[in-house]
Amino acid sequence: MPLSTEEKASALARLPLFQGITDESMTRLAAVAGEQEFAVGQFIVRQGQVGTGLYLIVGGSVRVMRGADELAALGVGDFFGELSVIDQQPRNASVQAAESTIVLALASWDLLALLESDPALALNMIKGLVARIRAAGEQHRH
Amino acid sequence: MAMSQQELVDTLSGLALFADLSRPQVEAVAHKMTEESYPTGQRILRQGFTGTGFYVIVDGEVAIRIDGEERARLGKGDFFGEMSILLGEPPVADVVTTRQLRVLHLGGPELEGFLRDYPPVMYRMLKTIAMRLRNASRWRS
Repeated sequence: MPLSTEEKASALARLPLFQGITDESMTRLAAVAGEQEFAVGQFIVRQGQVGTGLYLIVGGSVRVMRGADELAALGVGDFFGELSVIDQQPRNASVQAAESTIVLALASWDLLALLESDPALALNMIKGLVARIRAAGEQHRH
Repeated sequence: MAMSQQELVDTLSGLALFADLSRPQVEAVAHKMTEESYPTGQRILRQGFTGTGFYVIVDGEVAIRIDGEERARLGKGDFFGEMSILLGEPPVADVVTTRQLRVLHLGGPELEGFLRDYPPVMYRMLKTIAMRLRNASRWRS
């Protein structure tokens, strides 16, 4: 059964990328995020491909692979490609459905279109990223 | 020796940060920001101290130092100072010139308004900052 816009907004709001984003902006994001289904064994993204967006798992589970090595297993509530939606860097791992899986996908071009009409969203995202850089830096200080 | 306004706008037009702006917009940006020069060895931002500003490097290079240890270098086209302004906290690093430096400077309180006036610049900044987070996180492992 497809998710409502509200359910999608609620799911996306848990991503670190969208911390501090207004409900109004989240609703707009949810409206352009789409559900995609993958059968067991299908690749959601492949290592080396241009990153085109982020994925949030709403059903099922996936394996994160680099070559033949499994790096991680992700399930409902987990996400990947969070920064790719902004910078389109090549994927540094492949992600394969471990079972029948449903993801919520947000494409970078849809995010960009939204940012152009919602400067507050862009500014809040920048602030969120900057706070995370600072936190990452602080972890290295003795 | 200062660049002519024409040369400055030409240089700015070539920077990634302003790549999506029309020439009249780049001229407006050059007008809004203040051109400044610093000699080698000058500390522009001081770790732990108040004092904010947003800087875009037009020519030259700076070193980013935390607790005396160099973490990165920034050069032409790079920007710095936005973290402290956006977080409302003092800088966590010293920013020191390693060569003669020429920058465009915008006062801290003006940054948000400036970004709202120029959404393409804001998007370019967002991309650069996402890349910086990637690098900061990678270092963790």
